[in-house]
Order: sequence, then C-alpha cells, then structure tokens
Amino acid sequence: MDENKAVQYLESLIGRVLRVHATDTRIFVGTFKCTDAARNIILANTHEYRFPSPSAVRDAATNADELAAESAATAQNITLSMTSRFIGLVVVPGQHITKIELEETPQQGRMRDTLGS
Amino acid sequence: MRAVTQSAVPRDITDDFTTAASKLRTGQLVKDEYFTLFEAVGALEIMDSKMDSGYLGPGETNAQALEDDYDLMRELAPEEVLGIMDELLCHEMAWHMGHPLSQTLFTSLYLDRLLWPVPKTLEDAHFLRGQSQINQEVPEIVHTVLRAYCLALVKSCDFVHARVTTEYYFEEEDFVTQLYNRTLLSQFDSKQFYDLLDRAVRWIDEQTGIVSEKVAKAIKARLLFRREFLWGLEQDIEVIETRFAEQFRNCLSHLDFLSESTVLGREVPESFSWKIQRKLASTVPPRPMVKISFEDALAHLKRLCQDAVDLLEILDYRGPYNLKVLIWTLLSRKPQPSVYIRSLVQSLIVSNRTILGAVPAKQFLYDELEQIVLPSSILLQASADEIEVPSDPRFQIAQHMDVFTKRFSQPFVDTFRSACLNRCRIRRTVCHTLVDWDNLQMEAEDLDEQLRALSNEPPLKLANGDTTYSYPLSSWAYHHKLSQFRLILQLGFELSIYSPEELPGMYWYLSHICSTHLGHIDRIRTFTVATAKRNLTDLAAKKRGAFERHTVLQRSIRLLERLTTQIVAVDAFAISLHALYVLLARHCILPTTSSAQAYSSDRLRYEIRMKPFLQIALPELVPYDEYRREAILEGDSDDTVLERATKAISEARKAWEATLANGAFIHDSDEKHSPALAIEDDWKRDIKDTMRACIGASIAIETVKKALRAQAESRKREGEPQSFQPVHLRVAIPEVGSKARWHDWWVVPQVSPATTTGVSKT
Repeated sequence: MDENKAVQYLESLIGRVLRVHATDTRIFVGTFKCTDAARNIILANTHEYRFPSPSAVRDAATNADELAAESAATAQNITLSMTSRFIGLVVVPGQHITKIELEETPQQGRMRDTLGS
Repeated sequence: MRAVTQSAVPRDITDDFTTAASKLRTGQLVKDEYFTLFEAVGALEIMDSKMDSGYLGPGETNAQALEDDYDLMRELAPEEVLGIMDELLCHEMAWHMGHPLSQTLFTSLYLDRLLWPVPKTLEDAHFLRGQSQINQEVPEIVHTVLRAYCLALVKSCDFVHARVTTEYYFEEEDFVTQLYNRTLLSQFDSKQFYDLLDRAVRWIDEQTGIVSEKVAKAIKARLLFRREFLWGLEQDIEVIETRFAEQFRNCLSHLDFLSESTVLGREVPESFSWKIQRKLASTVPPRPMVKISFEDALAHLKRLCQDAVDLLEILDYRGPYNLKVLIWTLLSRKPQPSVYIRSLVQSLIVSNRTILGAVPAKQFLYDELEQIVLPSSILLQASADEIEVPSDPRFQIAQHMDVFTKRFSQPFVDTFRSACLNRCRIRRTVCHTLVDWDNLQMEAEDLDEQLRALSNEPPLKLANGDTTYSYPLSSWAYHHKLSQFRLILQLGFELSIYSPEELPGMYWYLSHICSTHLGHIDRIRTFTVATAKRNLTDLAAKKRGAFERHTVLQRSIRLLERLTTQIVAVDAFAISLHALYVLLARHCILPTTSSAQAYSSDRLRYEIRMKPFLQIALPELVPYDEYRREAILEGDSDDTVLERATKAISEARKAWEATLANGAFIHDSDEKHSPALAIEDDWKRDIKDTMRACIGASIAIETVKKALRAQAESRKREGEPQSFQPVHLRVAIPEVGSKARWHDWWVVPQVSPATTTGVSKT
C-alpha cells in the first residue's frame, strides 16, 4: 500500500462508526474523525463500554440459577449487557489501542464483497 | 444510551488500519474536512489519568474503583431514612453553593438508581430498576418515603437549574450547571411529586406504634418541608402574579425543628459514593465528595427562604429610584443571596420585556428621566400626544425620543440587573459598561442639540453673562456614569483591591468624583429651578396643568436634594479618611504591603487603578503629578490636615444622619405611609454601620491628634524641633468581615497608642 492508497483508505473511513478497543479492555464506539502516523484516533460522540464487573456477573448468574430452578430448566449461558456511558469527543492514543473494528450494516458488507475491495 | 442499529456488524480492520496509518508521514493527518484542530484540543485523552474519568490506575481493580457494595433494597431503620434525608439536604445545599452535582447529590446511590438510565415514566424511577425483580421487594419505608423525598428533591433542583441557566451567572464561579448527561426529571409534571409526598406523609401517619413517634415526626416534617420548598421553587417568576410567598414562610417555620431533630437520624455513609463519578459523562476524573455540615446547609437554606420571602417587596413598582434601592439593598445582604435568588431577581426585573412584569421599558426610562432631568418636559409628553403630522415639532421630538429609548433602555435596565451578579463581577461589569455610558453620553449630546431646536428651549443666563442650555439627556447619562465611577471605587474597598498605601489616594479620588458629581447635580438643579420659576407665573395665572407641573417639579427638586445629601455624606467621609491616611503615611505608621525593593511604585499603582477610566472622556483623567500632589496634600501642615479631617468627619456624620432621616425611599406626598419593609431595615442597618464607621474614624483622628501633640511637646522639651521623633501609634487596617470593619466601603484604620517605646512598627 503506498501513501496515496493509505490516505485513500483512511479517508474512506472518516465519518464511519469505529469500535476501538483499549488496553484496559474498554471499548470506545464513536464516529471516526481523525488519525495520524502514530495511529492516534479521534472519535466524536463516543460511548464508553465496559465489561460487566465480576460481582454483576455473579448476581446475574445467581438470578439465572433461581430462574432456572423455578422453571426447572438448566441455564447454561447468561446474557449481560455492557455498561455504557456517553463521553463525547475523545482521542485514543495509538499505543493504547488493541483492536479496531468498523461497524457495517450487512448491506455494506455485501457491497464490499461484490466490489472486492 | 446509544441507539444502535440492529444490524450493525463489526468487522476487524486493525491490520488494515495499522498498515495504512504507518504509511503516513510524521505530522500528516487524515481528518474530516470539517473537523478542526481547535476542536481536537477539546478531546479527552483516553488512558490519561488527568482527563479520562474512566481510567483506572495501576492496582485499581474494577471492583475497587467502580463497584459499590451497597444493597439499595436493604431494609432501612426509620432513623437511617432520616439520616439519608438530611445528608441529601446537605448535598443539595452544597450544590446551591456552587459545588458540582458530581461531588454532591450525584454521589447518592439512591439518586443514581432513580436517575439512570433516564426513566421514561415517573413510576419507572424506583430502586428496583435494572435488577431482576423476582424475590425482591423494596422495603416500604424506602419505597414510599425515601423515594418520594428523593424524587421531589431532584425536581426541586430541576426548577433551580432551569432558573439559573436562563440568566447571567458565572459557571463554576457561582454555580455548576453540568448535569453529566442526566436529567433532573424535568419531563415530569410536578403534580406527581406532590402526590408522592402526600402518600409518604399518609404512610408515616399510619405507622403509629411501629415507628418511634419522635422519628416519625421528624421524617414527616422533612416531607412537609420538601413539599413547600418544591412548591415555592415551582412558583418561581409566577410570584409576579401571585404575590405569594407563604411556601417559603412555611419552609422557614420547619427549619428550627429540622435542626433540632437531625440528631435522631443515623448516617448511612455507605449509601453515598464518589465512585459514581466514573459513570457520569464527565471530563474530569473523580474528585472527593463535598461535605458540608447540616448547620451550614440549614443556614444557607434559611437565607434562601428568607430572601425569597422578602423578594415580594421589590415587586411593587414605585419608580426607578426606589427600585434601585430595593434591589441593591436586597442583593448586598451578607452573605450575598444565593445564585438562585439572584437569577430570580434578574428575571423579575425584566420579565416579558417589561419591568417587574408591569412597566414597559420605555415607561421605566421615562419615569427615571422625569425624576431626574426632565420634570414636566415636552420631550417626554410628545410621544403621548400621538401627533401624526410629520412637520409638527412634537412628531419630530417623539421620533428623536424613540431613538433615544431604543438606545438607552437596555443599558439602563442593565444597571439594575448587574446588581444580581456576584460582587466581583458587578465591579468588572460596571468597569466595562462605563465605556458604553461614555459613548452613550456623547450620542445623547447630539440628540440634546437636535431636540433643543425642536422644543425651543429657552437658554439660561449664567452669572458671568454666558448662556447655556440644559442638555437633559446627556446630563442624565453623565449622572449615571459618575454614579458608576463611585460604585467602582467603593466596590474596590469592599473587595479589598487596594493595598494600605493606596488608601490615601483612593479616598482622595473618591472625594474628587463626589465633588464632580455634586457640581453636576447642581447644574441639573439650576435648570429645574429655572423651569419651576417659569411655572410659578403659570401657576399664578391658574393655567391649565400648571399645578400638576408644579408638583412634578417639586418632586424632582426633592430627589436632587436627596441625592446631594447622599453624595455630600460620601464626599465628607472620604475627605476625612483621606486626611487621616495622609497623616498616617507622613509619619510612616501606615502599614504597607509592598517591600522597599518592590517593583511597584505609586505611579504604577495609580496607572493600574485608573485603567477602567482611561478611555473615559468625561470626567477627565487626573494626571499623575496632580493626583500625587492632592493625594499627599502637598504643602499642608499636619495641623491643617488634622483640622481638615476633623471638620470633614463631623460634616460626614451630619450628612449621614440626614440621609438616614430622609429614609430609604421616596414617597409620593399623596401616598399613605407604606408598611415597614424588611429590606428597609437592611438599608437602615447599612447606613447605621456607616455612621459607626464615622464614629470610629473620629476616634482614630482624635488619637492621632493626641499623639502628634505629644510628639510636638517632647520635641520642644528636648529643644530640637527638627529631630526625628517617632509617633507612638500602632495602626491596623481591619479586614472586610472583621468586627472592627464597620462597613465594607469604609476602611477606617484602628489607631491605638503603641505599647512599646521603641520605633513604631511600619
């Protein structure tokens, strides 16, 4: 990928919603605004997501067990939503990024596949 | 919560992104074309401990930093409910005092559960939210009593927040409006909150025998207080129509019992946590919880309620002069009324483009002009005549006066509103508006000239044979500007801006401004008296309207007299303090803040003090050399200066007595004596404090006089009239708020004979 291509690729992502995973396992979901050579990423209208705490998982599991006991069925999995909060405009420094994901609708995904980009 | 499109699928682009980014040159940016670097500066840096409120330091685990191990569904003893209620009230008042919600109310786990996620209905705001609701039941006392109290408290905050944010206030200086992406239940109708409180009261009443009687009574009093408080805050500016402050009076009647019964409560510190801040949309990492004592909270609350009750007194419009006195006196109360009250007063002053909801701004301005410069003038009557012939001078006068009104009504009303800011900001604002008033005065002068031709104003012959015209509009503007000069100086004393070595000069400057102002009022009076004389002939001839004109003219002359008395009082006191300070400075017993090696000098200090006045055309700036000569009373012997001080202080005492006797307000002669006002008492107290300061100054002058005499005698005894003999006096400058400082605007030094025989402390 030469510089032009690289810029083109990054520019195609501007305005799209990215999920940026940080080293402390938090995930930042926001609109991609800006990046640089150090892979620092600026996101707008960002929400911070954090994995539920062990105690919350424990509580949910206990509840699920109770539910299971009541309905006499076995519960294998429990679902817990991540805690989130709005934090607005943020910059995630490149060295703290572990993973970057792009949010797409299925149509967008199909479109990309057909175009073969 | 973010609205997520159902079908969003994430695709890992880490590698592509990283490769692409690595191709960029250092310093090269790929960015949204509308995104500016200026905006980028505002971005929070993730993982930075100073900016990222979600950042956990090394060693901080999720559980420690984020979790609170408090069970909101636990049974609470009634004493604990009481304890939580009082703690919440402390937090509420701390917020009123200017601390952010994040460090006060939003540290309550109970409130957090009610407010987040944002409830869609009020029923939705309960303590079981987000929990699987099986096998769990909230204890009744928590659900019925504490919940009702919490919700009503949040709603009270909502009303306060709404009022403050619509007016001028200074973020973080007066108040923090930040809500951290939560709402204060603003979407719900207040009726529901009253119902909840009523239900809670009924529930408590039913608990006879179960809950101890004392505690039940204490809880009930808090619920009833909350109901009244909420109602009072809901009424807000409606008070213009209702003229009703019973709610706040009732609040006041509860406060004593609240204070007595708080000991019955038991604190539940676990139900408050600073960690909640990590979950708030905040740009700062968590800060410690703000703790104020229940006593302090009640004191603040009491002030607020009392101010809210007394607020009623400003609502009856009786002319701009009286309104100014009322507003200034109310807002000069110590401690200064809370930001809610100050915002409310701002809204009341101008509500719906009318003053106090009753007087159109134009009428307000005209009333002021009539009182001061234009009694019974065609200029003010012209627009009432509804002449529609463009060639008629009255039509043209009305047009010019409309221009004037458009230009002046806002700045004029603002001189009232600016009193609602905090004290430092009042001074700053007046320093800024002073320049505007200088320009306005010049514009008014142009209008005056045009109007003079239209109204055929007869010239006035002066004693030296020159003729002159009244220039009413610009005269009036100048009068206001001089008042603002005086205010800037006096607030300077109040805010402890001047160092002791500047006091001689600043009191001289105050007296200089006062004498300029007195001269100006004399000029205005000359014209009013001349008009009154002309009217006398009409009166004798029993011409139509002559009697009414006579009344208006006399009223205006009385007001000018009153203003003169007040300014003479300020002037004389300033002259006396100036002279006293000159003596203290001459004998090197005035304390100084700057050391001998300091870079600052009298000239530089003068320059900085005159900064607000540099751009002002009138009154002219006093050149430094002249100022210095005046400030040190160059050429006057100690005896002359002493005599000056003594004479001036006795004149000041007389003038302040006369001011007190004149009363706070001007009364129309036909008006029956209005009932005594609470604000009037404040005004009287203020004048009496000034008179106390006068007495303090006389004593200080006497002390200095004695010491100087003693010094002269000892010189004589030693037969060396030129030898340096220190004056055995000790001088202390009492600080604002201390007991010896009788009045904030009058820095009266405490002079006492020095006990040591050595060199006086300098």
